[in-house]
Amino acid sequence: MTMRTTVRLFLLLVVLTAPSAAFAQGEPDWLVDTLYGSGKINTVVAVVSVILLGLALWLFRLDRRIARIEQRTK
Amino acid sequence: MKQWWWKFLAVGLVLIASIAALRTPLAPAVVHASEGALKPGPNTVTVLGYATRFTQESPRVFVENGGQFIAADQVEVLDDRRITARFLVPEGLREDMSDLLVSTTTQGTMRLFDAFYNPEKGSGALEGVTEGPPRTERTDFAFPNRNILYESIRNLHFHVPMWFTMMLLQTIALVFSISVLGSGNPLHDRGALAAVHVSLLFAGMGLLTGSLWARATWGGWWTSDAKLNGAAVTVLIYLAYLVLRGSVNDPAKRARLAAIYNVFAYVLMLLFIMALPRMTASLHPGSGGNPAFSQYDLDDSLRPVFYAAVLGWMGIGTWLLNLQYRLARIEIAHDHAHHR
Repeated sequence: MTMRTTVRLFLLLVVLTAPSAAFAQGEPDWLVDTLYGSGKINTVVAVVSVILLGLALWLFRLDRRIARIEQRTK
Repeated sequence: MKQWWWKFLAVGLVLIASIAALRTPLAPAVVHASEGALKPGPNTVTVLGYATRFTQESPRVFVENGGQFIAADQVEVLDDRRITARFLVPEGLREDMSDLLVSTTTQGTMRLFDAFYNPEKGSGALEGVTEGPPRTERTDFAFPNRNILYESIRNLHFHVPMWFTMMLLQTIALVFSISVLGSGNPLHDRGALAAVHVSLLFAGMGLLTGSLWARATWGGWWTSDAKLNGAAVTVLIYLAYLVLRGSVNDPAKRARLAAIYNVFAYVLMLLFIMALPRMTASLHPGSGGNPAFSQYDLDDSLRPVFYAAVLGWMGIGTWLLNLQYRLARIEIAHDHAHHR
């Protein structure tokens, strides 16, 4: 359940960040290359998001393992 | 709890490095010229800057070709980022490509390399050339503003520490595995497994962040670059470590087999990530040589932030491993208690 949620969140992120090329139709090439997304700052936002999601994924896994031990010790 | 200091230190370093990585301004730069070629005679060019403030400067604009400078005879500042400049280009410039230079009073001299193609080559212009602008160095703290990279240069402080952390964790896994070969200690076997697990988390984050960065700069989610494929093969080798463990039921045999495999995996990791990419051309900086000695790939302003980020993320990775290891110890103690 938690895993599926995480994967969905990630896919959502990819879908949200990918269409910059489609957005930029009709703009001259140099504008797309140099300035689209305020100098490519959106790439940095996506990269930081991926790292935060990766750490969250790890917390979910750790949570499950601890829950398993808790059940066994009961 | 014992010894919290290094955890606080790691979090602090990551926090400081991340804030610096996101808040440090980019150096001003010239990013585009409206014309692609300069023919002999009058040429009017609109120059586009990034993080510039042309209205507060009195910019002078030059073209450089093979060490010869041509000064713009008319310069009009449109706004903080745009200038229109007119050049009287002499005949006989000797190089294929010319650079564009904008010299400002407070932001130094900015250069757009290979801005113009020179369609009519000669053996050097005889007239119409001037002295170049003064060589000025910026003194403020700013990240370099590189062509293609622009703001995404900040990713250096997030993407690269993932790989450094992965390598540290795999080194710890190697130490655990060697210990297993000597002592057969089941706890150390679990430690090696935990270290490989956490290293794969960091490898995964490294691959995904790298893929995003590659899309924005190199134009594809994946390129057939030596370092990319080497990293992918490394991940597969360590995934195979997990598969190998899953296929052996006897714990003692599994521990020894996994330890031997892990030694080989580590050597292959070094080969695929450290050795092979340096022998071929690569889109990554530092390839075809030793990145540690390259003063061009890591600017002085990037260096302190990058090192803080690497140390901080290594600490976070070690902390994650520490948690996994302590959990494994509890699990083993628990199993013992039940078998008795």
